[in-house]
Amino acid sequence: MNRLFSVNNTFTSYQNLISFYNSHKDKEFDEIRLELDVFFAANMSAALGAILDKFSENLNDVIFDYIHSQIEQILLKNDFLTYYGRERIEDTNRTTIKYQRLKPTDGKYFKRYVIEELIDGHSYDLPPMSSGVKEKIVEAIYEIFVNAQFHSNTEDIYTCGQFFPNKNKIEFTIVDTGVGFKQKILERFGKHLAADRAIEWAVQDKNTTKQVTGGLGLAVLREFINMNKGRMQIISRDGFYQYDNDGVMTKMFNGEFPGTIVNLQFCTDDSNNYSLTGEIDENDIF
Amino acid sequence: MKMIYFETMEGTTINIVNTIGDLFGVEAEDGQKVYELVRKAFENDHKVILSFVNIEMLTTAFLNTAIGQLYKDYSESYIKEHLQVTDMSDSGKVALKRVVDTAKLFYSDPDALERSINDLLD
Repeated sequence: MNRLFSVNNTFTSYQNLISFYNSHKDKEFDEIRLELDVFFAANMSAALGAILDKFSENLNDVIFDYIHSQIEQILLKNDFLTYYGRERIEDTNRTTIKYQRLKPTDGKYFKRYVIEELIDGHSYDLPPMSSGVKEKIVEAIYEIFVNAQFHSNTEDIYTCGQFFPNKNKIEFTIVDTGVGFKQKILERFGKHLAADRAIEWAVQDKNTTKQVTGGLGLAVLREFINMNKGRMQIISRDGFYQYDNDGVMTKMFNGEFPGTIVNLQFCTDDSNNYSLTGEIDENDIF
Repeated sequence: MKMIYFETMEGTTINIVNTIGDLFGVEAEDGQKVYELVRKAFENDHKVILSFVNIEMLTTAFLNTAIGQLYKDYSESYIKEHLQVTDMSDSGKVALKRVVDTAKLFYSDPDALERSINDLLD
């Protein structure tokens, strides 16, 4: 399987990416050819980049045989194709959030990236957001980034996103190529959970695989997604978890993704005022 | 004459921005720097005021390592008596309260998480 078409943020699209990975993962010193056709959601560059890097680790050559012209435009604007020798083109509409491959120790660099791509770089072209929404979005993205930094034992973290000004939405994706939720639970508790149940357990308030207190990041994120009417998807190995206004959906894939994808959709026309978070007396915290 | 204890306590002030060299308190590693300073003060029985002045962003991961894990080493009453925060945003206080409540539970019942896994397997 070498043709990826209509890649969107759906279970079927993730399955297609996983099938693509699994059909080539054992190759070494080979050529892996790829076609991107019809549609490719820009934020999925993070997932595709992680897969292609896995192929490169085995010294395979990755060759794009065909990229639909509209997809090509987007992937040149968001810098994805610059990792494959192509020259970037300027994003005059400023709707892309650049594709990045980072090390877990690149926290300071990630901060600059988030500020440039999500805050300062779009202060004029983003729709006005109610008080605190932008901060909550950035905070949510950070919670996921620090999760990837410390939970997954990954070597690389991939991020990418896209603004949809007409739909008032932002998609943002963070991918790691680490061990995934079920393995972390196995290492910490010696118990085998199916990947979808492992994710479901991890997003519950206070649940953590760390030896120290924690387990709030994903729960805080889920609560914000609920208020914001957004959507979160977590793909970890062969497990799929989705949370949105329709509730929770879990499924299993045929084959495994080599790590974890967290895909977040935020609504920018959110009228909640997140600055009003309730008052807590400083003397009543401890 | 009765002594009256005022809530404004005297103690060592730790400036978070200066400690981590950043306006964003987001990374667990940076939280660890704060934790180690607080522990050093507590070991000498000093009271600590954590100043969040100029902090623009906080994550629960940062607050867990900076403050949450103190509950592993010190009792709730000791921390209540020796630790204070200032200049924290309302949302920061909400996050910290949650971190603290979670830490108290985590260290008071270390087997609770394993039980929650076992419940799923039953």
